[in-house]
Amino acid sequence: MGNFINLIQNELIKIYRLKSTWAMYIIVGIIIVGLGIFIKSYGEYMTYEEDSWRETLEAENQSLLDESEEFPGIAEFNQSLIEQNNYYLENDIIPVSYGAWQFVMENEMLLSLVSLFTIIVAAGILANEFRWGTIKLLLIRPISRTKILIAKYSSVLLFSFITAFFVLFFSWIVGLILFGFDGMNPHIVLEKNEGIEYVSVIGEILTGYGFSLINLLMMATFAFMISAIFRNSALAIGLAIFLMLAGNQIVFFFIERDWAKYILFANTDLSQYVNGNTPLMEGMTLGFSVTMLVIYYVIFVALSWVFFTKRDVAGY
Amino acid sequence: MPEIAMQLTNVSKRIGKKEIIKDLSFSINRGEVFGFIGPNGAGKTTTIRMMVGLMKITEGDIHILGKSIKSDFKQAIREVGAIVENPELYPFLTGAQNLKQYARMIPGVTQKDIDEAVRLVGMEKALNEKVGRYSLGMRQRIGIAQAILHKPSILILDEPTNGLDPAGIREIRQYIRKLAAEKNVAVIISSHLLSEIELMCDRIGIIKNGELVATQDVRENTSSTTQTLLQVEMEATPLDKALEIINEKTTAAQTNNKITFEIEKEHIPALISNLVEQNILIYEVSVTKSTLEDKFFDLIGENVIG
Repeated sequence: MGNFINLIQNELIKIYRLKSTWAMYIIVGIIIVGLGIFIKSYGEYMTYEEDSWRETLEAENQSLLDESEEFPGIAEFNQSLIEQNNYYLENDIIPVSYGAWQFVMENEMLLSLVSLFTIIVAAGILANEFRWGTIKLLLIRPISRTKILIAKYSSVLLFSFITAFFVLFFSWIVGLILFGFDGMNPHIVLEKNEGIEYVSVIGEILTGYGFSLINLLMMATFAFMISAIFRNSALAIGLAIFLMLAGNQIVFFFIERDWAKYILFANTDLSQYVNGNTPLMEGMTLGFSVTMLVIYYVIFVALSWVFFTKRDVAGY
Repeated sequence: MPEIAMQLTNVSKRIGKKEIIKDLSFSINRGEVFGFIGPNGAGKTTTIRMMVGLMKITEGDIHILGKSIKSDFKQAIREVGAIVENPELYPFLTGAQNLKQYARMIPGVTQKDIDEAVRLVGMEKALNEKVGRYSLGMRQRIGIAQAILHKPSILILDEPTNGLDPAGIREIRQYIRKLAAEKNVAVIISSHLLSEIELMCDRIGIIKNGELVATQDVRENTSSTTQTLLQVEMEATPLDKALEIINEKTTAAQTNNKITFEIEKEHIPALISNLVEQNILIYEVSVTKSTLEDKFFDLIGENVIG
């Protein structure tokens, strides 16, 4: 076991000593700060005072109504915002001012960037050893290839968790500095499929992160498999990113066919089963999707293992 | 009886239908420096890759201190330190960080072992520089340090003096001899530089088209071939008088300002003293073609090199 921790340590050193890894964190950092400054300077966030929150909300509603008349295209969207505001008024809840947690929630989309970076790392972690030639020194140690493979895969997952946590933590810090503290566990009103609900921001963040991580896990594992089979990181990155971006189009292209529900990308978004959403296709259930995901996952991992442990390391 | 460090028994390697290595059998003893030579593409690297488990053995087996590399990989490989082909290291890590990577993978390797290995290859100074900035010679030294960290019983080095300057080559050669003599390590060296193999090794195996065509004891070879003719090149003045004297013994030819001739080894001292007695000034005498080279070319044919 100590041995395994050493292997993980080795892999993390190799990941984090690379300049390209630092570039990823700097990019995410700049985007977060940029978004924060953008929101701050355009003032598209609200603060509410204890004695004047009703007036603020009513004024907000009025301006939303005016806006709707001017631009009928956004009327529907504004209407839902007005309904949310009315929920506060009707239930006599003081809305929380915009702050660190809500900023984190808005930055959830940055997880697709985390997916992208994880794909890059997963694609490189095996292929690079072949490219550098270091695979020959790595595999002549008293450690089985299976163990090295598991250590490398675990390190990819660790990297993605660290990066996702970085996005969360750094967003929170930037949010705190720019917008202030909005409480330990702020609740806001959001429009869900079952109507307007009063929900915990942290809860929303966790479910949002959770659903994104499933997609991330599948694509990273896919990139890792391609890397193990073809020993080429460019191919693995290219294929994984292409599928990540085109996955939904692929599903919609085949949506008329019965077998479309067996496509991986029809099942990666598990949020289709919660919040009263309608599943993509008839006959799909949460159990079905989870089963499909597990089957794909096992295939990816098994192929990675077979190709990495059974194949010769030859000099070409 | 010398203790056998590595034993190859009927090792064959097939890729598809092509047989790359054919029924290779030989053994290497502890404390012995074994040279592995052959033209490019003969199967040296494939054999070395099978020895360290990077390639699977199609038929036969390789035992390291009695443990099969096939079925007892972890126990067998623990006894092996190796550089396979080039000393490839992580270019974005320093020499020290590279060595630590490998130290972490083998139980029982301490910082003291790392320091000792670094001292032996003389890399203390550049240890904290990134490997990407190293010269090939420096990478070669870190490569060797990496191979000896865990004090292996068998050291496998592919072209170990590649990229080293003459002083470095001598240092490594002495070091390899010392390892074999003092630590009883079996050293396997592959090279296509015959002179190097001759200086470093006790025994050589010549491989051609995946077959072991001969194993040869280097010292035995030099003593048993005294009867064969050596090709000698000499620089002396006056040239014509020297030619005349040499021609009494053998047929000499003049090329540029040098004399070349063939002579039996045991006759060389007498010839030289004869020349000296006749007041001929000798600047240089050298054997241009070694017997090992002859043997090598006899076995593999000159044209297949390259």
